[in-house]
Amino acid sequence: MPEHAQILPGTLDLLILKAVSLGPLYGYGILLRIEQISQGALLIEQGALYPALFRLVRQGLLKAHWDTSENNRRTKFYELTAAGRKRLRQEEDGWNRLVAAIASALKAQPEET
Amino acid sequence: MRVFASLRSVLSALFHRSLVENEVEEELRAHIQDRANDLERSGVPRAEAKRRARLEFGGYQKFKEECREAQGTHFLETLIQDLRFGLRMLRKSPGFTAVAILTLALAIGANTAIFSIVYGVLLAPLPYRDASKLVVLNETTPRVGNVSVSYPNFLDWRAQNRSFSQMAYVAQMGFNLAGAGVSQPENIAGDSVSPNFLSMMGVRPVLGRDFEPAEGESGTQRVLLLSYQLWQSHFGADRNVIGRSITLDGNDFVIIGVLPADFRPLDRTDVMLPIGVWATNNRSATERGERGDSTVVGRLAPGAALTQAHAEMEGITAGLAKEYPAANDQFGVRLRPIRDAFVGNLQTEILVLFAAVMFVLLIASANVANLFLIRGAARSKEIALRIAVGASRWRIIRQLLTESFVLAFLGGVLGLGFAFAGIRLMTRLIPQETLGGASIGLNGAVLLFTAGVVVLAAVVFGMAPAAHSAKWDVQAELKEGGRTAGVGAAQNRLRGMLAVAEISLALVLLAGAGLMLKSLYRLINVNPGFQPDRVLTMEMYLSSQRYSQDPAVLNFWRQVLDGVRSLPGVESAALGNHIPLTGDHGRTDITIEGMALPKPGSFPHPDVHTVSPDYIRTLGMVLQRGRTFTDADNATAPPVALVNEKLARQYWPNEDPVGKRFMWGRFDPASKDAHKWVTVVGVVDDTKMYGLANPSRLEVYAPLLQEVNNDMDLVVKSRLDPSALTSEIRSVVAAVDKDQPIFAIATMNKIMSDDVAAPRLTLVLLGLFSALAVMLAAIGIYGVISYSVAQRTHEIGVRMSLGAQPRDVLRMVLGQGGKIALVGIAIGIIAAFGLTRLMSGLLFSVSASDPGTFAAVAGLLVFVALVACYIPARRAMRVDPMVALRYE
Repeated sequence: MPEHAQILPGTLDLLILKAVSLGPLYGYGILLRIEQISQGALLIEQGALYPALFRLVRQGLLKAHWDTSENNRRTKFYELTAAGRKRLRQEEDGWNRLVAAIASALKAQPEET
Repeated sequence: MRVFASLRSVLSALFHRSLVENEVEEELRAHIQDRANDLERSGVPRAEAKRRARLEFGGYQKFKEECREAQGTHFLETLIQDLRFGLRMLRKSPGFTAVAILTLALAIGANTAIFSIVYGVLLAPLPYRDASKLVVLNETTPRVGNVSVSYPNFLDWRAQNRSFSQMAYVAQMGFNLAGAGVSQPENIAGDSVSPNFLSMMGVRPVLGRDFEPAEGESGTQRVLLLSYQLWQSHFGADRNVIGRSITLDGNDFVIIGVLPADFRPLDRTDVMLPIGVWATNNRSATERGERGDSTVVGRLAPGAALTQAHAEMEGITAGLAKEYPAANDQFGVRLRPIRDAFVGNLQTEILVLFAAVMFVLLIASANVANLFLIRGAARSKEIALRIAVGASRWRIIRQLLTESFVLAFLGGVLGLGFAFAGIRLMTRLIPQETLGGASIGLNGAVLLFTAGVVVLAAVVFGMAPAAHSAKWDVQAELKEGGRTAGVGAAQNRLRGMLAVAEISLALVLLAGAGLMLKSLYRLINVNPGFQPDRVLTMEMYLSSQRYSQDPAVLNFWRQVLDGVRSLPGVESAALGNHIPLTGDHGRTDITIEGMALPKPGSFPHPDVHTVSPDYIRTLGMVLQRGRTFTDADNATAPPVALVNEKLARQYWPNEDPVGKRFMWGRFDPASKDAHKWVTVVGVVDDTKMYGLANPSRLEVYAPLLQEVNNDMDLVVKSRLDPSALTSEIRSVVAAVDKDQPIFAIATMNKIMSDDVAAPRLTLVLLGLFSALAVMLAAIGIYGVISYSVAQRTHEIGVRMSLGAQPRDVLRMVLGQGGKIALVGIAIGIIAAFGLTRLMSGLLFSVSASDPGTFAAVAGLLVFVALVACYIPARRAMRVDPMVALRYE
C-alpha cells in the first residue's frame, strides 16, 4: 500500500481539472479517477470535492449537466469548458515550473566557505 | 395583474432556489451511496460500509453550506436579506418609522384618491367603438353662446358634409310615467335619436333590437328602448319585457329592447326613442328657427381630422345662414370631442387637484428624506463599519434603497386604505351628474398608478440619503467615532435645501387654496337676486292628453296653488317657468317698440319666464319699480310683462321702462296682422339664472294667465322648514290628478348650495392638501432646526459661557430657521405666480396673483415656520453651559 500524502492547498482544483480532462465524469467518478491517476497516493477529504466543483462551475471552467448514469440513475456530470482546458494547461505549466524550481533548490549543495 | 405577476416571479425564484438546494443534496447523497456500495462490494458489511462512507465524506452539512456559498448568492436572496435587515432597522426606530409611513400614506392616499377621479373622468375609455372619432356638435349664437341644433339644419348638415361618415340627432325629452303597473307617477328622461345613433356609437341593445331606418320618419309607431337601470328597477330585469308596453304621457309605447348596462348617455336617459316619434306632430321637426333641447353627434370619416371637419362645418353653417337668414343669421357651430362633452369644465379642477396632491407627495418625500438623513447620520458609524469590513458602496446604497422601498411600500398599503375611504367620501359628495357618469374607484389602472407613486416616492426620498452615503468618508467616521460623525456641512446644506423646497411647495399649495377660498367667499356672497331661505321648489309637467287645452292646464295650476296656499305653514306659493340655477331656459326674439329693426340674428333674445302673480314675492325678488302681476292680468286683459334691470338698461337707458312696449318675435312691417304689443308694468332685479359665477342675461316675465304653460316649477315659501311640506304638497297634487308626477323636489338653499358644489369641493380638497403640506413643511423645518440645535449644543454652551444671553441664542436659532423659511417663501411666491395662473379658470372675481392672498399665505407660513423653530430654540436657550461642555 503506497504511502498517503495530503494534497497541498490549491492543488485540488488542478487535480479535478486534470481528472475531468480525460472525459466527462460525475462527482464520485472524479474521486475515483484522482485516486487512480495518482495511484492512490493522494488523499482527498471526499466532501471537499463538491464545493470545489461548484466553484469551478461558477468560474466557467467546468460545465455540469444532469444525465442518466450507466446504472440508470439521475447523475450530474462535469466536463471541461474551453476556458477550463486553457486553465488546466496554465496550471500544469505553473506546477511543473514550481516543482522544477523546488527540486533544483532541494538539490543544491552547501557551498564551501 | 402586474402585482400578481411579480409575486409569481418571486415565488418561482424561491422555489427554484429550493430546487437547487435539493440537487446539491441529491449529488452529495449519491456520492456517499456510491462509496458505500463500493465498500460493500469489496467485502465490508453493509452497515459498516455505510458508516465508513459517511465518515470518509466528512462534514456533510459543512460541505453543503460551502457548495451553496460557492454557487454565489442569488439576487433575490440578497434582496430578501436586505428586506429583512430593513424591516429590522425600521422596527428598531418605531417613532421614525411611524412618522415616515404615516406621512407617506397620507400623500400616497391623496394621490390615489385624486388619480381615481383623473382616471375615471379624463382617461378611462368611453364605452363606445373608436370613441376618439366621435364628435359632439351644437349651434352657437353670440347673443347666448351655445345653443341646441335645429332639426332642419341638422338634416342639411348631414346631407352636405364630407368629414363625417355618420351623424345622428339626439333630442332630450321628459315624460310622465304613469298608468298600469306604476305605483307612483314619476318623471323620466328620454332621448329621441336618429335610427343610426346606436350603431354609430358602436352600442348594441343587450335585449331586443336596434331602431330601423323607417323609425326616423314622423308618424312612425311608438316604440322605445329601456335603459338597463329602468329595466332593472321597473321591470325586474324580466327578459320577456320585449313587446310589452309602457305608458308615457298617457300614450302606450312598445318596448323593443334594452340598452346595455355600461351605456353612457350624454344626459340622463331612462328611455330611448326613435327620432320619428319625436318628429310626429312636432313643430321643431320642420321649423328651422326652432332650437329645442338637442345635440348632434357625428363620427369622423376615416382620415378626417377634427380641425378639417370644423372648417367644413363652418362653411356649411355660413351657407345655411345666408340661405335662411331668418332662422340662421349669426348662428355658428361648435365641434368638440365626445370626451369634452362628458368632462365639461371639470378638467381644470381635476388637474389643479392632481397637481396639488403631487406637490403633497413631493413635500412628504422631502420630509421622509430629511428623516432618513437624520437617521442616516445616527447610523453612519454602522455603515462605515460595514464598508470597512468589505461591503461595497453599491451594496450599502442598495440596502438603503431597499429600506426606502419597504417604507414606501408600507406607506402605499396604508395609503390605499386612506384612498379607499377618501374615494367613498368623494363619490358621496360629488353629484353623479357632475362627473358625467364616470365610474370612480380603485381599479387596476389606479392601483398601477399607486405602485408608480410608491416607486417615485421611494426613489425621491431614498436617493438623497443613498447618494449621500456613497460619499461617506469611512476613515473619518471611524476615527472620530463621535456624535458629529457623518454630518458634514454638505449634509446640513442638503437638509436645509429640502426644508426650503418643502416650504416653497407648501406656499404654492397654500396660495392655491387661499385663492380658492377667496373666490368661493365672493361667490357665495354674490347677490343671486332672490331670497332662497325657506323656499321649497318642485317641478310638474302636464303632458297627458287631458291637458291639451289651456283651460284644463290653468284649472290644474289654480287648484294646486289654492290647495298649497291653504296648507298650514305656507306663507305664499307661486308657479314659474323656470326657477334660477336649474338649467336652460326658453328664449325668444322680441321687438322693442320704436327700435331700429336689426338683422334677424340681432334682435333682443331674452329668457322668457311665465309666472303666476305671487312668483316675485315668493322667491323674494326685488321689484325695482312698477308693479307685479295680479289675477286681473288674464287672457282678456291687455298683455303685460316684467323685465329685468339688465334688459331695461340696455333698451331703455335713461328712461322709465314702465309703460314701454315690445312684441314677441320679430316685427314684420309687411305683415297684415295687427301687432300685439306687450306693456312693461315693472322692473325686477337681475337674477343669477345660470350659476352664481355667470353674468345675468336679459329676462322677461309674462303672466301665466296670458302665456299658458304646462311645465312649471311650484315655489312655496314656508314659515318653517320648507322640506316638511313635501308630503302634504304631494297629497294636494294627487287630489287634483293622481297620475301627475312631481319631480326635482329641492329647497332653494339646496339648489344654491349645489351650484357651488364643485368649487366648494375643490376648495375643501385643496384646503386639506395645503394644510397637510404646511404641517409637513413645519415638521420639516422643525426637524432641521432641532437637529442643528442638538449638533450645536457644544457651540451654544461655549457661547453662553462666554456671555451670550439666552436672547442671543434664541435670535441665532430663529435666524437660522427664518433664513430657510424666507428663501422657501421667496421661491414659493415666484413659483406660485407662475402656477396659480393655470387655475384662473376656477376663480371668481379674484385675480390668480391676488396680492392680498399671496401676502396672507406668506405671512401664515412665516408664522408657522417661526413656531416650528421656536420649540428647538427654547431648548437651545435652556442649554446649561456646564453640561454642554462636559458632554464633549
